[in-house]
Amino acid sequence: MAATSVASAPSVSATSSIDQALADRLAAIVGARRVLFRPSELLTYTADALPSYFKQPALAVFPGTRDEVVAVVRELAACGVPFVPRGAGTGLSGGALADGVVLVGLNRLTRVISVDPDNMMATVEPGVVNVALSRAVGAYGLHYAPDPSSQAACTIGGNVAENAGGPHCLKYGVTTNHILALEVILPSGEIVTLGGTDGENEGYDLVGAFVGSEGCFGIALAITVRLSRNPEGVRTLLADFMSIDAAAQTVSAIVATGIIPAALEMIDQATIRAVESSIYAAGYPTDAAAALLIELDGAIAGLEHDVETVETLCRANGARTVRIARDEVERTRLWQGRKKAFGAMGRVSSHLVVQDAVVPRTKLPEVLAQIHRVSQQNRVKVCNVFHAGDGNLHPNIAYDASDADETARVHVAMREIMTLCVDAGGTITGEHGVGLDKIAYMELIFSPESLAAMCTLREVFDPERRSNPGKVVPVHSCREWHMSPAARPSASLA
Amino acid sequence: MTTSSISSAAHLRDCIRDASVRGTPLRITGAGTWLDAGRPVRSVESLSIQGLSGIVDYVPGDLTLTARAGTTLGEIRHETGKHNQWLALDPHGSDKGTLGATIATASAGPLASAFGTPRDLVLGLEFVTGTGSIARAGGRVVKNVAGFDLTRLMTGAWGTLAVLSEATVRLHACPQVDETIAVAIAGDSESLDRTRQLLRRLAFTPYACEVLSGPLAMSVLGRDEPVALFRLAGNIESVTAQRASLLELGQPVDVSSEAWTSLRAAEPTDAIVFRLSRHPSEIGTTWDEAVRLVDGAPGALLHATPARGIVRCILPSSEPTMARIGSALAAPPQSKRVGERMPERLWSAFPNRANSEIGGRLKQAFDPRGLLNPGILGNTV
Repeated sequence: MAATSVASAPSVSATSSIDQALADRLAAIVGARRVLFRPSELLTYTADALPSYFKQPALAVFPGTRDEVVAVVRELAACGVPFVPRGAGTGLSGGALADGVVLVGLNRLTRVISVDPDNMMATVEPGVVNVALSRAVGAYGLHYAPDPSSQAACTIGGNVAENAGGPHCLKYGVTTNHILALEVILPSGEIVTLGGTDGENEGYDLVGAFVGSEGCFGIALAITVRLSRNPEGVRTLLADFMSIDAAAQTVSAIVATGIIPAALEMIDQATIRAVESSIYAAGYPTDAAAALLIELDGAIAGLEHDVETVETLCRANGARTVRIARDEVERTRLWQGRKKAFGAMGRVSSHLVVQDAVVPRTKLPEVLAQIHRVSQQNRVKVCNVFHAGDGNLHPNIAYDASDADETARVHVAMREIMTLCVDAGGTITGEHGVGLDKIAYMELIFSPESLAAMCTLREVFDPERRSNPGKVVPVHSCREWHMSPAARPSASLA
Repeated sequence: MTTSSISSAAHLRDCIRDASVRGTPLRITGAGTWLDAGRPVRSVESLSIQGLSGIVDYVPGDLTLTARAGTTLGEIRHETGKHNQWLALDPHGSDKGTLGATIATASAGPLASAFGTPRDLVLGLEFVTGTGSIARAGGRVVKNVAGFDLTRLMTGAWGTLAVLSEATVRLHACPQVDETIAVAIAGDSESLDRTRQLLRRLAFTPYACEVLSGPLAMSVLGRDEPVALFRLAGNIESVTAQRASLLELGQPVDVSSEAWTSLRAAEPTDAIVFRLSRHPSEIGTTWDEAVRLVDGAPGALLHATPARGIVRCILPSSEPTMARIGSALAAPPQSKRVGERMPERLWSAFPNRANSEIGGRLKQAFDPRGLLNPGILGNTV
């Protein structure tokens, strides 16, 4: 690779080479219907699920098979064009937006390649929808554990890119704890296998490095996931509280017992009211300051014992009522309010900003009180619906983007909230990813040397930085970023 | 060999920079309890992180703990135990080992069946790269996707890309009941398969399940018959049911939880230790292969982790054993082989651990002068 291509900003050369000729060459691979090149056709792909960023790709291509993906990536490599991999576009960080570069849509690759129920694993293409995978293996009494709220639409490939979480990750772990192996096409067009399934994986944890790389390291062609047994029993409780503090104390009390709930979610009053006035009404008490949605699962023996312990703790910490779902219908209804909460916010205002900070669990009461103060000072309405069990907050503000004054206040409030979460010992994103949305906050938590180390890792996978350019790590903060590979000291290899 | 003892991350950085100027490769060590683990390192100087010790931050309510890399597992066990919590890592060896070495080598023991390996418990790291940069990755919270995952990259990299100076780990609250139970089994491949099938079918995951060969059961439990050793935990009702579900395998007998400590420390000094693995469903076949490999080696000890498809082989070292195992290992492997400790000449039977194009590029990027633990993972190109 020539040093000059590294030194130049990717998009400069890119724009010029994304032309009709490239569109034609890509159409020869995937078919003309699967290449979008007219600006009007590309409108759908200018945003993800976060309605605050709009970036227009120069071209979008939708390969339908593994071989087509390989051919597309190699064509883009041959002409040095940057690209952005995209799954279902349900991301909440602007990570799958392509600004004047090529968007590679992977949602047509929906094949479950193989299922090994005995060893509890499955290999899938990247476009398989999260919930479709669980459905495909349901007959074996298995499921895929990470369950982002967008699971009905989001893809496993996108989950791998973002290291997606979900309510049940409190007990079962996030995406990276469930990926065994990956077949990846690097931006250079080279195909590599990371990890493996037949025996222990040794050497560098390349699966760990790839998961959560937000599309900056290449495209996963095949993903082998670990499956989990469906629990023998599930019990879902809804406890409501007259103060946020009491709800937060309950969270700590439950966790301290050693019981790991399958999920432990908090929903504040503003969110409860938004949900209850929407089609997703779940029967949450609208006068409560906060509600906890608690799920316990596992072997039936001992489960009731844990339910009793949790119920007692809720009441001891001030729960007004504790409702235990009697059947699957009631359980689904209780969950619907939580999973569709962001959808329900759509009723409140046209625009929404969502944050994803994580704070140490013991700091929850203090941080929630500070967020309340920030919302009052800036006259914005913050709703909180989040994974309380692991301290992963989702403060979100619904607003009208056509109101410049309100928009400005929202942005000030968001920055203040992020800063106070970081000051409490937290991090800027727990499961949504950095993407574009949080890139400005990276320097709040990482030193230039730490960011440079991340750039170093990225360059191992993508030396030309053509895959999802401009995301995750702020370019200017990396000292080595501008240094061409030729200028670096060479390795005396071990 | 000269040894420098490190007192801070900045000191570590200075030592690495100094070694870089002098072009002197370094052997990175922790407590030095396992210096013969991994391939031989080509270095003349040693850098010990043992002095870089102590718990930096521990808020029990957060179930996370931050400690310097040289902190021993014993100290962490002691401190967390005061709050009825624990770090669910039980690497082979003892609690004298350091947190840094455990993470750097991704060492895991029987608990990995339920809690995963270090990659599943490490939340954040501070490290110094081969280029002398102090960097942090991850954080002190239990969920974090900010930036590329250098935490997992460094976990299990055997100190070849960077030297760990500090780590934050996830803790667990101690269960109400925690019992150790032995069930005598035949110890043949069929009994291994049955144990694995039972584990696959159960509605719960035992904290641990290891199958011990007769000689190993003798050394750990004082009974000369193969056993399946279970660690069952949870509330009383749950553990009672768990125990009952083991009956189809044989009669459960209570044994002391000390069995786990003895199992971790079962290998004699200078033993040859390696592991075989493939799919868990093939554990019987893997066990048979291990039995054949160690056949005729006096004092050979075997144990299997059925849920993970791994068989660990421990052979007291002697010249005849070395010759015998050397020729046995020369046969093409049917299972994946992972070496732990052995004399240099046996290593050729174990594939290079970081031998991939990307592995080589990583080494070049993070340790371009090849200063850190050169050779411990085999060649990296």
